[in-house]
Order: sequence, then structure tokens, then C-alpha cells
Amino acid sequence: MSALVRIGALARKELAHLRRDPQMLAFALLLPVILLLLFGYAISFDLDRIPLAVVDGDQTAESRALSQRLTAGSLFVEVGRPATPDAAEPLLRRGVARAALVIDEGYSRHLTRGEPAPVQLVLDGSDNSTAAVALGYATALARPKLPIAPPIEARARSLFNPGLKSAIFILPGLMTFILAMVAVMLTALTVAREYERGSMEQLFATPTRRLEIILGKLGPYFVLGLVQVLLVLTVGVVLFGLPVRGSLLLVFGVAGLFLLAMLAQGLLISVVTRSQMLASQLAVLSTLLPTLLLSGFIFPIANMPLPLRVLSQVFPASHMVSALRAILLRGNGPEAVARDCLAIAAFFVFVMLVTTRRFRRTVGG
Amino acid sequence: MSTPPVIEVRGLTRRFGHFTAVDAVDFDVQPGEIFGYLGANGAGKSTTIRMLCGLLAPSSGTARVAGHDIATDPQAVKRSIGYMSQKFSLYLDLTPAENLSFFAGAYGMRGAERRKRVEAALEEAELVDRRTTLTRDLPGGVRQRLALVSARLHRPAVLFLDEPTAGVAPDARRAFWRDIRALARAGTTLFVTTHHLDEAEYCARVGLMVDGRLVALDTPPGLKRTHVPGTFLAVETASGLPALRSALSDVAGILGVQPFGRRLRVRFALGAPLADPAALVAHLGGRGLANPSVEASDATLEDVFLELVRRSEPKEGAA
Repeated sequence: MSALVRIGALARKELAHLRRDPQMLAFALLLPVILLLLFGYAISFDLDRIPLAVVDGDQTAESRALSQRLTAGSLFVEVGRPATPDAAEPLLRRGVARAALVIDEGYSRHLTRGEPAPVQLVLDGSDNSTAAVALGYATALARPKLPIAPPIEARARSLFNPGLKSAIFILPGLMTFILAMVAVMLTALTVAREYERGSMEQLFATPTRRLEIILGKLGPYFVLGLVQVLLVLTVGVVLFGLPVRGSLLLVFGVAGLFLLAMLAQGLLISVVTRSQMLASQLAVLSTLLPTLLLSGFIFPIANMPLPLRVLSQVFPASHMVSALRAILLRGNGPEAVARDCLAIAAFFVFVMLVTTRRFRRTVGG
Repeated sequence: MSTPPVIEVRGLTRRFGHFTAVDAVDFDVQPGEIFGYLGANGAGKSTTIRMLCGLLAPSSGTARVAGHDIATDPQAVKRSIGYMSQKFSLYLDLTPAENLSFFAGAYGMRGAERRKRVEAALEEAELVDRRTTLTRDLPGGVRQRLALVSARLHRPAVLFLDEPTAGVAPDARRAFWRDIRALARAGTTLFVTTHHLDEAEYCARVGLMVDGRLVALDTPPGLKRTHVPGTFLAVETASGLPALRSALSDVAGILGVQPFGRRLRVRFALGAPLADPAALVAHLGGRGLANPSVEASDATLEDVFLELVRRSEPKEGAA
């Protein structure tokens, strides 16, 4: 009973700190939205309006038809018609064009004779991914319409994300990243601050037990984290058309578990560093790397070398991303995310054990 | 004494690696006593206090505070004591009311009881009309007062104050000590560390720590009698300090000379022939010094402290 009173007193104090520090609250509530807008609009693996220079050495109806096929959609935009390939180079160098289509004289002659009619696509290789995408588009578009339809036509249909929109694909990863970042950072800061101003010792001198201190201090941040989940989901659904095909309750369940793991991580960092400066740096480092690089948010886990694949399974972020994709995009139920939840819970328990041991040892008593 | 001591310390020792911060310390503190704990920084004062508050386990030895063993029942110790640490006592970004309400809650008070205690504490600290001011905007002395009522919200039998007046203005320090003496009269036991030696004069008894050992423990007058016996005279002359020093250089029975403003404080052995104002004035006049004046002076705890430090560190005693 008095344990609850003590935990409540700590939680109220923490809320008072947050009220007095609007920047912290803004960090907690605005940053997720800003990050979401920034990343949601900026990280797009969809490319369009690639600037294209056309060097038409053939000047025939066929050559014009080819360049029109490329620029007809929204994928390529013609930005110039230099006379020679040499004249196209400055355009590429200055970045005015990202690609140049070079049609040599004799293109139509080759076509009418039924011979292969080579065409050159010069790409700005300094932007590797744009170049790859542009090459793919151009290859598909340049192929002339075949006079006879082939007997079998392969047609790919993407389930769950029919438009293959990258915003929808990255949102679960983005949510994970934002939640991890803010939760670890806030926890690390709030506990390190108690060490820095010497109040941790004052807390220990009261009958408040260590576990009560942890619960009372982190409770408000857990609730704040759930508010962030709601905020990020709402922005995702409203602005990016994120589908919620599975149970919302399950989303919050998994997110809550993930938050616990992140709060534990922040707590461990602050207990070890005991300085706000160090804690915030470690918080960024320890969330950025696993959530951005190892979670499957950007780079598919299946393509990683074995050691990284193993490492990615240790961090809760990859499980959170995969569970969110399963629930939100594929509409899966609890049975599909049970293994991910178990892995997150294991991380939480392990980190908590290390933290409490460290907590006890370093303050004595 | 008939009443059992409220703090009983026996052979209390704390080592950090090879360093012994507190070395086999023994003492008792009686109920309602103001016990001063003196020493330079790093002498082991804070380590002792942290052990007595149940914050740090002793390496060896025992101590009982308010009837509870600090090693086996720190939780009970914490419930019966109040602690004002040296570095922190209040959250500066919270209001006085929020601070008090938090600490009341941390000691398990709730509901109407908590509100009543907080209200009484605000009144006691004379902060009723400033309850919504942020603590950081209060003057140092007021903050100190608030910290003291905050440490006493749960009516502890013993209060541990670690350097309570560090960085507090002199008049506020005097007011603070008035509060402390009033508390002791009302029956609270106070364990106070300080390095303001003038403050130690307010203590019923004073323990002196040097390098982790308790080298002296007595009432302030007792300490002076034992460790710096003799007669103190304050001497002044219009001829200046160097002339005065040379005039005193061959006087028999002088144990120590200390500059004190424009005067010299001279410590004579008991029964020295010139250890008397009139006799010394006559002697100095005979040496040709202009307007010599001599006044009786008292030994201070500073004299005791310097003497004890000199004795335990003979090689560094020059200071």
C-alpha cells in the first residue's frame, strides 16, 4: 500500500518536471510527428521525374517515338536535346540531367531491317540507387511493342501494398525508430539527471525502494510512449494512408511491450553513465544503429551477412518492425506475432536484470 | 547516562578498495543532542553519514540508529531519520508545495494527512504566500529552511545534516542554527557535519575526523582544555607586526603565535610569567614598542582543529 503511495508520489513529481520543461514535452510529442513527416516524405524509394537528356543522332520518326515512349509517363522528363554525346556530358556533370539517352544515326535503318538497334543510356552513377531505378524503367520502356503477343505473360501483383508505395512499407520501421529514440532518450535523461544533481541519494535516503523508484519514474514515460504510438498511427493513417488491417489493441500491446524494452535500455544507459550528456549520446547511438540499420526498416534482414542477421534478432527493433508489418499491413492475429513478442520480452527481462544489479551495486546499501 | 543513546557506533569502518575512508570509529549520540562532526574534505564525514543513513553498507563494525541496525535493517533506519545531503535537498524546478508533497509521499504519507503535513511545513518555513514560486527563485536561506522542514515532514527522531550551511549567507546561517537549536530543545537528535568551525561551537559535543579516524570527541570547552591548554592573549601595537614578533621572540612559555588581523594571537603555556595582560604590556613597553595593548582571548575550535591536524600529520604541519 505505502509502496503504491511512494510510486504515485514519484510519478506525480515526474509529471511536474515535464510540465516545467516544455521543451522536453515538445521533444516527446512533436519530434515523432516531425520525424514522421520528414522521413515519410523524404524517404521514398519511388522515383519519378528523372531528368533526361536526349541525344537524337538519327532524327527519324522511329527515334522520336523512342524518346517519347520514355518521357510519356511521369518517370522521365526531357530536360534538353544536346546535339552530340559530348554535349550531353556537361548536363550530367552539372546534375541538370541524371540520365542521357543516346540514339545513334542508323537506328531506324536497323529497326526496319529487323536487326538489333542498339541505343545507349548514359547514367549518373554517383547516385547509385537512382541510376539503378532509371535503368530498370528505361529498359522496360525502350522495348518496342511486339507485333505478336507472347503466349505467356508474367504479371506481378503485390499483395498488402498494391501500389508498392514505400511510405506504407517504411511506416512500421519509422514508428519503431521514433518510439525507440524518444523512449530511450527521455528515460536516460530523467534518471541521469537525478544522479547529476545528487537527488538520487536523497531518494535512496527515503524508504522508497529501488524498484519503486524505477516504476515511479518510468510510469509517466510509458504512458507518454503510448500517446506517441497513437499520435504516430494517426498521422500514418491520415497522411500516408497506412492501413490498419489487424487489431488496434494488438498494435498497442506489442508497442507497449516494445516501450518497456526501450525504457529498460534507457535506464541501463543512465545507471551506467550517470551523466545527461553521455546518456543522451549513448541513447542516440544505441537506438539509431539497431533501428535504422538492423531492423529491416531500410535494409532487408534476409540480405544481411549471418552475424548481423543474428545481431538483428537480439534487438527488439527488428521484432517490432516485423510484428507491426504483420498486424498493420497483413492483418495478422496474435499467433503471428507471438514469437516476436517473446523475443522483445526476453530482451526486456535481460536488460532489467543487468540494470537492477548495477543499480544496487553502485549506490551501495 | 540513563537514557539509551539514539546513535550507537562501534568500530564502524568503510573501505573503498585499498582506501579506508572511515577507520574503526566509535561514538554514541544522546537523544536531543546536537552532535557536530568536523573534518576536512575527504576526512570521512560524508561516508560516515551515508552509512548511518542506511545508504552505504559498512565494511566492518556496527551501528544502531534509533534502535535499528544499519546493516541488517536499513529500511527501518530510513523511516526513522531525516537526511539533508550536502549536494541536493530540493528540486529547483518544482514549487515548495510540490517538493514537500513529493517527499511526504516518498515517506508513505497520503491523502488528508499529506496535505495537512505539507500545509504545516509551508507555514513553518514561512512560505505559505510563496507556495507557487519555483524553488530556484527562492533566496538561499529560504531554500535551506525549506529543505530542513522537508527533511522533517515524517517527524524523524534523528536528523542527519551533511554540510547544511555550505554556500549560505552568514545571517541566514545564524537563523538556520537558531532553528536547529530549537529542534534539539524539542527533543530531535541532530547529527551535523560542517567545516565552519564557528558553527561547531553550537554543538553539545564535537567529533573531529582526520583521515578517516575520529581523533577527538568532547564538548567544545573540553576539546579546548584538552588539546590547546594555556592562556590566549591578543596583542596589538602601533609599531607593526614584524616589530611585535621580534619583541615576542625571546619571551618564555609561548606555545604559538598566529596573526589575526592587525593583532597577534599568542598562546602561553599555563603559568607562564608573562601570560597576563598587564605583565605583557609592561614587557612590550620596555622593549620600546609604541602603544602596546593586550587583551585576554579564548581558544577557538580552529585552534583545536589545527593542533590536531598538525599532530596527526607532523610532516605537513607547517600550514
